[in-house]
Amino acid sequence: MPSWNADLPRMLIIQLARLGDLLQSLPVLSSLREKYPESFFDLLCPFPLESLGECIPGIHQIIPWNGEDWHVLAREWEDTFLQSFPHAVEYFSRFPSIPYSLVYNLNNHPRSILAAHLLGTRVVGAGDQGPLNTNCSPWVEYLRQVAYERGPNRIHLADAFCGICGVKPPRVLPGIQSKDIQLAADLTRVMEDSSTSKIGIVLGAGDNDRRVPVSTWCRLIEASAEHLPNSMCVLIGGAGEREAALALEDKLSPHYHSRLLNCVGRTTLPELVHIFNHCQWVVGSDTGPLHLGVACGARAIGWYFSRARVHETGPYGVGHYVWQHQGNGQSGNCREQLFNHHPENPCTWPINETIELMQGQGSSGGLSGWELWTGHRDDWGMFYLNEEKLDVAIAERKNIWERLSDMPFKQHSALKSHSINTGCSA
Amino acid sequence: MTIFQKNIELLRRQDAELAAKILKASGGTLSIHPAKSGVPTAVVKNRAIHSAYDPIREGELWANHQTENCQPGEILVVLGVGLLYHVEAMCSKLAQGSVIIVIVPDLSELADVFSVRSLEGWGDRICWVWGNPEQMALQVAQQASRFRLLTYEPALLIHPKEYDAFRSQLRDQLAEGVHGRLHIMVIGPIYGGSLPIAGYVVRALEALGHRVSWVDHSLHDPGYQHLNTIRDARLRLTVQQRFSDMLGVISLAHVAEDPPDFVLAMSQSPLSMAVLEQMRRKKVMTAMWFVENFRHLTYWQQMISGYDFWFVMQQGACLDAFKNAGASHVSYLPLAADPTIHQSVTLTSEEREELGSDVSFLGAGYHNRRELLPELLRDEWTFKLWGNEWEQAGRLQTVLQRNGERIDTPTSVKIFNGTSVNVNLHSYTSEGFDPNGDSVNPRTFELASCGAFQVIDQRTLLPELFDDSMMSVMRTPEELVSVVRKYLHEPEQRQSMAENSRKRVVMSHTYLHRMQTLLSIVGLASPDRIGGILRGDRQAESLLARSRDYPELASLLESFPKTDRVELVDLAKVIRQKGPEAKLNRDELLILMMDEYRQEKRDFV
Repeated sequence: MPSWNADLPRMLIIQLARLGDLLQSLPVLSSLREKYPESFFDLLCPFPLESLGECIPGIHQIIPWNGEDWHVLAREWEDTFLQSFPHAVEYFSRFPSIPYSLVYNLNNHPRSILAAHLLGTRVVGAGDQGPLNTNCSPWVEYLRQVAYERGPNRIHLADAFCGICGVKPPRVLPGIQSKDIQLAADLTRVMEDSSTSKIGIVLGAGDNDRRVPVSTWCRLIEASAEHLPNSMCVLIGGAGEREAALALEDKLSPHYHSRLLNCVGRTTLPELVHIFNHCQWVVGSDTGPLHLGVACGARAIGWYFSRARVHETGPYGVGHYVWQHQGNGQSGNCREQLFNHHPENPCTWPINETIELMQGQGSSGGLSGWELWTGHRDDWGMFYLNEEKLDVAIAERKNIWERLSDMPFKQHSALKSHSINTGCSA
Repeated sequence: MTIFQKNIELLRRQDAELAAKILKASGGTLSIHPAKSGVPTAVVKNRAIHSAYDPIREGELWANHQTENCQPGEILVVLGVGLLYHVEAMCSKLAQGSVIIVIVPDLSELADVFSVRSLEGWGDRICWVWGNPEQMALQVAQQASRFRLLTYEPALLIHPKEYDAFRSQLRDQLAEGVHGRLHIMVIGPIYGGSLPIAGYVVRALEALGHRVSWVDHSLHDPGYQHLNTIRDARLRLTVQQRFSDMLGVISLAHVAEDPPDFVLAMSQSPLSMAVLEQMRRKKVMTAMWFVENFRHLTYWQQMISGYDFWFVMQQGACLDAFKNAGASHVSYLPLAADPTIHQSVTLTSEEREELGSDVSFLGAGYHNRRELLPELLRDEWTFKLWGNEWEQAGRLQTVLQRNGERIDTPTSVKIFNGTSVNVNLHSYTSEGFDPNGDSVNPRTFELASCGAFQVIDQRTLLPELFDDSMMSVMRTPEELVSVVRKYLHEPEQRQSMAENSRKRVVMSHTYLHRMQTLLSIVGLASPDRIGGILRGDRQAESLLARSRDYPELASLLESFPKTDRVELVDLAKVIRQKGPEAKLNRDELLILMMDEYRQEKRDFV
């Protein structure tokens, strides 16, 4: 990457939410780079995601935001008042390029808004009207409305981030590649074995209500072993899921142990990127690692239930699948209802149907309580179709884009509106 | 020239009067021997004051440990002289210009030091404070607004009474100068004797000008009592424990919602160790006023490390037991009365008919009372017995009032006022008077505060609270009848003694006094946080004077009345009030950012 000099514009993108949101921000990073090829982009992301940020192409510098430092400063202030103030001032001396001429803020959270105004002279996105102004730009307001009212929205979160930043969805989707990773020997052996197809199984989830039962994963692994010759299931998860992984291994018939590689709690984020770079498929609920798998080139089969909705946070790219559960966490329920009433979780799981998709047979369908959705892209971004049927809401996206954006829109030459392409995205 | 002469010359330049007195001092307090390392070490009454191996290293370790908590700008006040190795080490650790005060209760001890240790190169940095405890406390309070007490325990043992008196005087001096406003959360019990005391504490703290949040768990008493319907004892205990644990979590939620500077829990408050640990993690300072007999209720042993401060109503063995169990700070704090509640009242004729009598006793039916009080069943006077837990009262049943129901505070005040001779027997589970009876019960203070006459059983801690001109003290149970008879026939004497006791309460034994003492102890031990707030460090005026390097911050502080306490939340509120169109400068944005993190409570409970 060329080095930056003071004559070149340097911009900052703020994404302080969780892993999944950072990965949903990859399209807007791509679009911004397409629109401003001369500019340099830095990324402000949570401290624990710094190492992942370094794998994202096109980012000049990753700036980690350590919330714990700010907790300490706030506590110090409570203890010693003025003595902590210089420490808060010093915190920003770590940022080499402030003030940025332009900051793109993707989080409608007071901390992100304040960070945006502390770091930049002009803010685009949440807080663009001022740090205390609750008026939002049309796109931010739209996202807020969707978050509270849900409704029949078909604009994908990643595309809404593009709208917030005043750019169109990207022509080319960015991929994440690992660099110079040395895995443990047992992991390396499996990853380098080109005779097996690897299926990433995302064991855990940040929220309890998005967790798939361990017994269900066992059945999927057994079915994979039975029906997908030369497949190897790679169990993915953080340190907090070690117990669940051990329980799974315990529950799994010893007959299938040779078809399972347990990576749970053993990998850093860059190592996980490396593993996903070698996976053909990734299966899981709507979680950060599922989207990481997608960004690393694996094809996703999402199991979306509880509050997860395919149209908002489905895996970004053409050809991914989502099994959407039809519980009470779905369309038409406002946020208040959702949080007051615990969503109904599935009783049955699309295990055989998922195997059929991986076999390339399509799905025979007919699983009660679940719908299969397939990912597509056009000028207005990502959308999902059930049984390849277009509906009004998909067409409505164009109007929403035009209503919320003040930019002139032209179709990408490479993408036709509403074209359906079932090939896998990069 | 000897070491002694050199030291005297050095001292003369600082304090000629002290130098002259040292010349006249006899010395001989310290028995001085060479340590293994060759330097002098000291012993007093077979107790080593310094290491027998390497006193210099020991002093350095002490200084390293002590300076961990010291804040810039504080004046360090060292208690414990010895051979001053620890003070020398402290001097070498601190920047030139920092002031170290050494308290000298005994010039003879200092004369011993001057004979064997050269003060050259560091002694001139010491400010010697000497005299009687009151004079020394006054000098310290006048010289230093922000100071931290450092104790070198081995040398403290040479003159323990003098140091205790100094600390007590210093607390009183500081209590008088307190003008800062704290936010104190008082956490009460579900029920029991400490419940009304929690109420008095809340009133007293409010009267002192502090903001008080009372977490009143007595609201949950009906639910808790309902658990008694569970017949299986083990199951009932388990559920009661869970209930109590939940109230602890509720307390934690209150702390999270409106973080106090300080949590004061009354005994029996439902705070588990897990809850207290969480408070500590969140830097919330905690104290427990344990208004129980430490020998009878022993749960303090399991809770000892949970609280930063313990206040107990017993001395001697109690203080030793708490210290030995690991209490970091434990202090004697006797009970008291609230004169706005416990006061003289005139009874109506109907009230006098029901509540009045020649002799009465109000309290629960403990064993010693059941044994002794029947002696008062005589024709020569009327005797009424009030209170609960008098099942199977035997002969006392005839004088038990209101069927032994619990008597509320307003009624008890009327009973005290309507009785000529109030009998005050401390509870004891055996016969007679408790031979280890030390603490003084709340009834003593309440009766006195009402201006009601009482005869009381002997308690070791009573004389320092009240004297014989204020109440009649029985040395043996056999005296009960004769004392009652005597005073029943001496109404003027009764009235005079009762009035003396009332004046004593008003002067020294109200909950206001107790809370002043409690806060000054906490303030002394936490000079940077609680002490700072009490001194007014958080008032707008003080903050403004210290914020010259940050003009934007200073201009914000100017918007507050000078004596208002200003915290991060207050500054953030002023900034937010600027309205949606406001353009904020860096300092304002930083304040809002810190306030955002201050508000975070998701990991609190």
